[in-house]
Amino acid sequence: MTLDDIPLFSALKGRLGYLNQREAVISQNVANSDTPGFRPQDLAPFTIAQGGIGGQLQMAQTNAADLAGEGGVKGGPGGSQTWTPKTSPDSETRLDGNQVVLEEEMMKLTDARMNYTTAIGFYEKSLNMIQLALKAPGKP
Amino acid sequence: MADNTVSPSDAAIAAAASALRAQQSRMRIIAENMANADSVSKTAGGDPYRRQVAVFTPVQLPSGAQGVAMTRIAPDQSAFRTEYQPGHPSADAKGYVKLPNVDPLMEAMDMRDAQRAYEANLNVIDTANAMQSSLIGLLQK
Repeated sequence: MTLDDIPLFSALKGRLGYLNQREAVISQNVANSDTPGFRPQDLAPFTIAQGGIGGQLQMAQTNAADLAGEGGVKGGPGGSQTWTPKTSPDSETRLDGNQVVLEEEMMKLTDARMNYTTAIGFYEKSLNMIQLALKAPGKP
Repeated sequence: MADNTVSPSDAAIAAAASALRAQQSRMRIIAENMANADSVSKTAGGDPYRRQVAVFTPVQLPSGAQGVAMTRIAPDQSAFRTEYQPGHPSADAKGYVKLPNVDPLMEAMDMRDAQRAYEANLNVIDTANAMQSSLIGLLQK
């Protein structure tokens, strides 16, 4: 059993991979912010179903009296997923046909960075939980 | 898009780095234009310095990322300025001197534009670096 078999970890892994790839796409847009006729690209929003998560993200029931845990998210087929970038022009087009607006690209980049930090934080907390479970009882 | 052998972060940094290089080359062109804003012809009645324009095109980098490069330096085809200076060595038969079609204000704007683009690309490298660092930071836990 690997960490990827735990749906939470594979979900976070998919999320980190997605954000990493989105960052690469945004970087291409910024690099071409002065290229005539360039149309910027972006990835479709992240979904658990496409995130390469095996299994299901749902609350476990260990007792018949437990709450059923509605609204669990069903994952798609496992394995790493690559996202295909699509053209998504920013709000303005310059006279030379370039559709990159630097401010908007910077916003997207910061967004990706913040979400990445969040996902890393979740990953860290989840690792701490596993470490907690590994500890011998009664020891601090 | 990047193949699986190169990490997306490396591809991002490669794209940003290619843009840094392109913007530096563009700065060189702007500096040449500024330096030659008053360069006239050596011969009487000849053409003075013609303003150069940097042309950017997207290029596929070895890492798979779509970077940018200055592929061409094109001459600006707009008309030269003329000034009546009969005593000037470059003046033509009627006493007019042709001056370069460089507008210092336009060059200054272009320079500011290049500077902003350069900063934006540095920002991208900084972000890619921070994301990688936070990932590597997980190993310290």
